[in-house]
Amino acid sequence: MRKFAHIDAHTVDEAVSALRLYGNRAAAIAGGTDLLGKMKDEILPRYPEALINLKTIPGLEFLREDAGVLRVGALTKLEDIGKEPLVCQKYAALSQAANRMASPHLREMGTLGGNLCQDIRCWYYRNPNNRFPCLRKGGGRCYAIDGDNRYHSIMGGSVEGGCYAVHPSDTAPALIALNALVVTSKRILNLENLFQVDVGKTTVLDADEILTEIQIPKPPDGAKSAFLKFAIRKSIDFPIVNCAAMITIFRGKVKAARICLNAVAVKPYRALNAEKAILGKQMDEKLAESAGLAALSESKPTERNGYMVQIAKTLVKRAILACNE
Amino acid sequence: MKAGSSNRSSCGRLDDGALYQELKLMPNKDVPGVELKKYSCPYCLITFDAFEAIKSHIVADHKSEALPESEGTVHLTINGQEYTFQVEPDWTLYYLIHDKLGFTGTKLMCDRGACGSCTVIMNGRPILSCMTLAIECKGKRIETVEGIAASNHPLVEEYVKHHCMQCGYCTPGFVVTAKALLDRNLNPTEYEIREALGGNLCRCGTYPQHPKAIMDAAKILREANREPGIRDAG
Ligand SMILES: Cc1cc2nc3c(=O)[nH]c(=O)nc-3n(C[C@H](O)[C@H](O)[C@H](O)COP(=O)(O)OP(=O)(O)OC[C@H]3O[C@@H](n4cnc5c(N)ncnc54)[C@H](O)[C@@H]3O)c2cc1C
Ligand code: SF4
Ligand code: FES
Ligand code: FES
Repeated sequence: MRKFAHIDAHTVDEAVSALRLYGNRAAAIAGGTDLLGKMKDEILPRYPEALINLKTIPGLEFLREDAGVLRVGALTKLEDIGKEPLVCQKYAALSQAANRMASPHLREMGTLGGNLCQDIRCWYYRNPNNRFPCLRKGGGRCYAIDGDNRYHSIMGGSVEGGCYAVHPSDTAPALIALNALVVTSKRILNLENLFQVDVGKTTVLDADEILTEIQIPKPPDGAKSAFLKFAIRKSIDFPIVNCAAMITIFRGKVKAARICLNAVAVKPYRALNAEKAILGKQMDEKLAESAGLAALSESKPTERNGYMVQIAKTLVKRAILACNE
Repeated sequence: MKAGSSNRSSCGRLDDGALYQELKLMPNKDVPGVELKKYSCPYCLITFDAFEAIKSHIVADHKSEALPESEGTVHLTINGQEYTFQVEPDWTLYYLIHDKLGFTGTKLMCDRGACGSCTVIMNGRPILSCMTLAIECKGKRIETVEGIAASNHPLVEEYVKHHCMQCGYCTPGFVVTAKALLDRNLNPTEYEIREALGGNLCRCGTYPQHPKAIMDAAKILREANREPGIRDAG
């Protein structure tokens, strides 16, 4: 790695002011499992001049229920979230997502905040030494759209520039299905509104803004949630498609539904069509299957990723059925 | 040239001693009229004769550590021994352990967090030393495969017995990961072992042997626990 300055932040304010001092020439580091890989490969045209360490801020690593709301500190490690019995019982989708993220070692290091703020994995973008200066780096073209796009968006490119890189997070769809909020150093956002597709950005966070907490409201009575992931290997691999659902069934009928896919589009993809398709209807396998069809009704796969549509349909169906068990 | 004088004088410049005297920066007993004051406080410029005196002045009046450590000073414990290092921000923990300290049991394969061969145990967690900055390990407790071998952990013997390696390059990473598992769970199922080893890659394909060795090592540890005194299970 190249040389950079390293600053241990001791409070959220300290982290924010250090980030502000450097403008967008610094990066916050949590577990470092995403950031250090990017720095080692020198994928970006600009190298961070400083890393601001968030791990030295006390009080950002916690997990507790307060008045029915599950509160998780941004620095909480995915291993601790996945293994927590409370999360497993009441917020199953989050527990399952945390347990399927990467490998055990990466879960012992990676944080929930880092998982939501991680960068895209498009293999052109990630190619070492800034080999492909694509749209997402402020360059002139997307290499994936004419190249090998087997792991790219099946929901079209971003409006802004035509980037087809998917959002790779496993926990994001689970948290969106669970209707989570994120607390930052300056605001509270619905998690769905955190994501953004822009040059050098995957979130709406400002250069001097950090995530501090994720809050999950009390799930509706009778609601169940589930998360499923399709990847080549069971461990280490990023999702090819993943899907989370939270479904409330009352007297056999769907009373409420939140369904979210990820790794299929430039941002986590809330399957509103699927939710609409099952609301108020009698829950059975056929209905779940129709939800899968509805979820992908607007899909427009590229040359090489039509197979992802089929996987996504099936995951939607299975995630819904898993909530009915 | 006089012994001890700066060789810069040979380049036609003042030698250091003369320069300092000229600028009156350095006390010099030989120069009449220059007052001998040894230590001046960096905060308020009050001077002190004794080192201890200025130290207690800084602590008492400026509420600061007398000798603050630099950002890059790292105290940590590796295999039970305490170390202090002066590290650069871009050093990984792997680089510190392997290149600087010479614990070569920790291996580097992918250097990207994707293979597990650089695993060490940090405060009880199996973590990847290639994706950890050394400067972020202040005060941590680290265990490497050397420490596990030195403690006569049964895993080492069982790994040999069950032929868990071919080329052996991935083996330390597996052993360290397995040790972290056994520290938490002395009776793991085969499924739990497979899950725990999910981040360790072996290009030679030794996978089926590991659960056998680990279950046998666990058994030895459980028996030792039942008969205290026979072996120290730690
Ligand atoms: C081999 C490998 C496999 C992986 N597999 C998966 C996978 O299957 N699924 C998956 O989802 N991810 C995967 N990852 C990605 C990554 O490990 C995880 O996303 C992890 O959770 C990132 O967390 P971190 O704390 O290490 O983030 P870091 O690397 O520390 O940070 C990532 C980014 O987020 C920013 N950031 C971190 N915390 C905050 C905060 N509190 N506020 C604001 N910004 C912040 C950083 O500035 C940085 O840009 C994998 C990584 C590797 C190396
Ligand atoms: S998909 Fe996006 S990140 Fe990948 S090459 Fe195209 S513009 Fe770049
Ligand atoms: S060398 Fe660290 S994970 Fe591969
Ligand atoms: S024994 Fe050769 S890589 Fe595992």
